[in-house]
Amino acid sequence: MTFSESKEFSVHSSSLKEIRSFAREALAKHDIFKSSSDDVVLALAEAAQNIVKHAYSGQETSDNLKVEINFNNNQLKIDLYDKGVPAIPSNIKPRNVNDIKPGGLGTFFIGQIMDEVVFKTAATDWVNHLILIKNY
Amino acid sequence: MSYKITEDGNIATVHLDGEIDMDVTEKAKEVIMPLIESGKEVHLNLKEVQYMDSSGISVLIESHQKAAELGNRVVLKEISKSV
Repeated sequence: MTFSESKEFSVHSSSLKEIRSFAREALAKHDIFKSSSDDVVLALAEAAQNIVKHAYSGQETSDNLKVEINFNNNQLKIDLYDKGVPAIPSNIKPRNVNDIKPGGLGTFFIGQIMDEVVFKTAATDWVNHLILIKNY
Repeated sequence: MSYKITEDGNIATVHLDGEIDMDVTEKAKEVIMPLIESGKEVHLNLKEVQYMDSSGISVLIESHQKAAELGNRVVLKEISKSV
């Protein structure tokens, strides 16, 4: 089974619900994701939230972000592209969740849910390219 | 997200409904924090919460911390499977 879906969204917190709906609808078409769909949607939503929160340093923007969901060779690959401040991967680490305090949990959840998380510099019109991979 | 508040003595129960994400956490805090600050024991009923991410979890933690500061507590009730 192979599929690919792609959509752009405005970089704003109000887009997060739309991004989740897009992912849910894409995954709901295929039984293989039935038991993991909620987790994958969460990981994607956390990554998108990080773009909204951090990629523009809190400034309003009219930019879009792009989400691509691809499945091929039993591998789900989600690509997120944005045009914000270039990410510094070494600065993006999950924190110790035993230290109970607000903030910093999104990266932890992403790491727990996905099998691979890759930060890249985008090759085309975008700046950042985040890849989330889950193997089935 | 929508909500309903019920009160019984010094206990205020906030029934949250919908999806809790970054877009609605400020609204959630505007509802929850004044109840905590007024000295009530706040119960957060999560039965109808269909989605909560790290921003929602942060609200729960902040609520707990504020209540603890004031010598009170926040109780989570009927936590939905999604949460």
